[in-house]
Amino acid sequence: MKHPMRNPWIYTLFTVPTLLLYGMFFLWPMLSSAYYAFTDWNGLENYRYVGWSNFAAAFGDPDFRRAIVNNLIFIGFSIFVQIPLIVLFALLIASVRRLRGFYKTTVFVPSIVSTSVIGILWGFIYEPEVGPLNRLLALFGAGPVYWLAEPKWALPAVLIANAWQWMGFYIVLVLAAILAIPRELHEAAVVDGANGWQRALNITVPLIMPLISVVVMLSIAGGMRVVDIVLVMTKGGPVGATEVMASYMVNEAMGINPNYGFGTAIALIIFAFALLLTSLYQLTFGRRTEGGYF
Amino acid sequence: MRKRLGIAVLILLVALSASLAACGSGNKETANAVTGDAGGASPSASASSGTGSEAGGTDETKAEPFTVSLRHIQIGEAQKFRKAILDDVVRKTEEEIPGLKFELDGVEDQVNRFTKLPAEMAAGNPPKIFDLFGGAGDALKYAKAGRLLDVTPIIEELGIADKFLNLSQFTLDGRVYGLPIGGSTEGFFYNIPMFEKYGIKVPTTLEELEAAAETLKQNGITPFAMGSKGAWVPLMMVNTLIGRYAGPEAIDGFPAGTHAWNSPEVTAAFAKYEEWVKKGYFTKGELGLEYADMLNQFVTGKAGMMFDGSWRASVFKDPSQAGELTGQVGFFPMPPVPGGKGDQTFVNGNYSNGYGFSADLNERELTAVKAFIKNMYNEEMQLRGLLEDGVLPSMKLSGDALGKVEDPLVKQIMETMRQAGGAFSHFDSTVHSEVYKESEAQIQKLIAGRATAAEVTEALQKIQETANANP
Repeated sequence: MKHPMRNPWIYTLFTVPTLLLYGMFFLWPMLSSAYYAFTDWNGLENYRYVGWSNFAAAFGDPDFRRAIVNNLIFIGFSIFVQIPLIVLFALLIASVRRLRGFYKTTVFVPSIVSTSVIGILWGFIYEPEVGPLNRLLALFGAGPVYWLAEPKWALPAVLIANAWQWMGFYIVLVLAAILAIPRELHEAAVVDGANGWQRALNITVPLIMPLISVVVMLSIAGGMRVVDIVLVMTKGGPVGATEVMASYMVNEAMGINPNYGFGTAIALIIFAFALLLTSLYQLTFGRRTEGGYF
Repeated sequence: MRKRLGIAVLILLVALSASLAACGSGNKETANAVTGDAGGASPSASASSGTGSEAGGTDETKAEPFTVSLRHIQIGEAQKFRKAILDDVVRKTEEEIPGLKFELDGVEDQVNRFTKLPAEMAAGNPPKIFDLFGGAGDALKYAKAGRLLDVTPIIEELGIADKFLNLSQFTLDGRVYGLPIGGSTEGFFYNIPMFEKYGIKVPTTLEELEAAAETLKQNGITPFAMGSKGAWVPLMMVNTLIGRYAGPEAIDGFPAGTHAWNSPEVTAAFAKYEEWVKKGYFTKGELGLEYADMLNQFVTGKAGMMFDGSWRASVFKDPSQAGELTGQVGFFPMPPVPGGKGDQTFVNGNYSNGYGFSADLNERELTAVKAFIKNMYNEEMQLRGLLEDGVLPSMKLSGDALGKVEDPLVKQIMETMRQAGGAFSHFDSTVHSEVYKESEAQIQKLIAGRATAAEVTEALQKIQETANANP
């Protein structure tokens, strides 16, 4: 045997340690959690096989159904509010000459700050009595709004904090794509008499569509698994107004009356939802916009 | 050619064994780091019993350092007196047991009780000593699962078994699985200067209480401070209202099946609470406020009364926490309610927060636990808790000792307890955890105006019946 590296057994030997680790820390936990999702395991006592009842209980619980709706609101908000704003800001920053680096850094900073810090920071902004937002409103004579305490305001408040945290990251991504567009295209358009808006809408945006499509994908995935900002700011409250699937899972699996079996069932549901939505997107809009670019 | 293959395999084996060895020594290093400076790794608890006795056998190894993990919840300004007592017990115990080093781990109460400890109990690796609540959802559940040390022989050996006022929330089948550090009662704290200013006298009937609330409200002051982001805070008042309207036996009656949540009496308790919510007697935006915010509203004079546990008493003698309100706070129990069932002088009384101990201890750790119990649960420390921290004792104290109490607020609380016909516990320690969990969700719905008292009690009874059916 001239080349030992061509021997499949050698490959196997070399990959065995990694496979073992992968199996131990990924495959085994995943398979065992799939198993526990069909039990009523609370972590302490003996458990029983309960069939699909965890899944039935989840979908039968109006709180969980609202959590699903809230996840969809998160996704909708990112796609229809955040992404247009992201593109707008990226276009604005791309068109300035001076201080572009400064703007880029400033918008990026929130995405490197820990979510806990952001939650507390926005908690202060929303503080009903001394918070700056209500003080500003008071200047216009508006009464104090209990942002995080009133069910109708809590979700928008969390959505805005979450958007603020992640927009900068995507702005920088989109900005990079905009700056990568060959200058000649713009110059040709200028010669043809196109103004700034026309160039932005007819040249820049179509050329960055593949990247926007990726951002949409990431937003869907992000909207499905959002949880940290919710737990820090409202813990899913008030009265479940900001509950998302993952915070529902945390509150059910742990906390008072922990039920790990039910929690893992929720985790599987979240996984299935994320898979479904992202593949739906890929099969419909995603395929059309990505074309041959990616 | 064969040789090359051989070499490749050899290299792989060497690499593998090296990495495995690294793992092994890595473990050892952390063990050393944990056990402290001298370096000798003590036998860990799980690998213990056999080696434990070996280590304790000779004098030389006796001084070998070992650590015992201790989880406490005494963090933050309001807990500083309690932390000082704990620190002294820790120091004294470390002096008594050669080589012992406690590893203190401070965790916020709710996080410890509802997130961290349950997860550790599930994984089977709780700290050796930890803050523990009594009752069906905590101590008794863990005791059933075999996670808690049976301390009955220890307290018998130390001669303190009959000194405790009430061990019921830690007792399962006659064995004791935890020891309460103090007792508490829940009632109204009130701002004395504010009551004087508006000519309000301390309410002794429900009408007087409601009149007081109305007066405060007319003057732009929140009658009752509240922070219901953590639902257990409003449930304190609801619990006592249930004790008033449905009688003291109702609290134990829910799991026993003798009392129903949706009975008219219990519903009346929730309805009274609902009425006060609707009248705006509680802090606005309370669903966004934490337990600590409730104290802030009271201390800053935004609210005139606060329904809270007697453990809060120490705050009001500390100028750094109570500010101008230092020494200006009084206490009164929930007044009798018209048409209420049972003895209307009963008060809430809990002996539920204390320490539990892991069942997984080696011999040396057990010695440390014994010494900890000896140093923590004695007249001296109980009296310190009462004098310095305003925590009611969980053990019988002599009249002499009790006579040393000077803090008027603590005296008032003790007098309230003395005059009471008896005590009922909090339903969080008597009902099944799923029922308690539902009560937290329901009370927030009631506060948000999403459910009426009748809907709340109906929902609770439904869960209670399921829970009672599958014990």
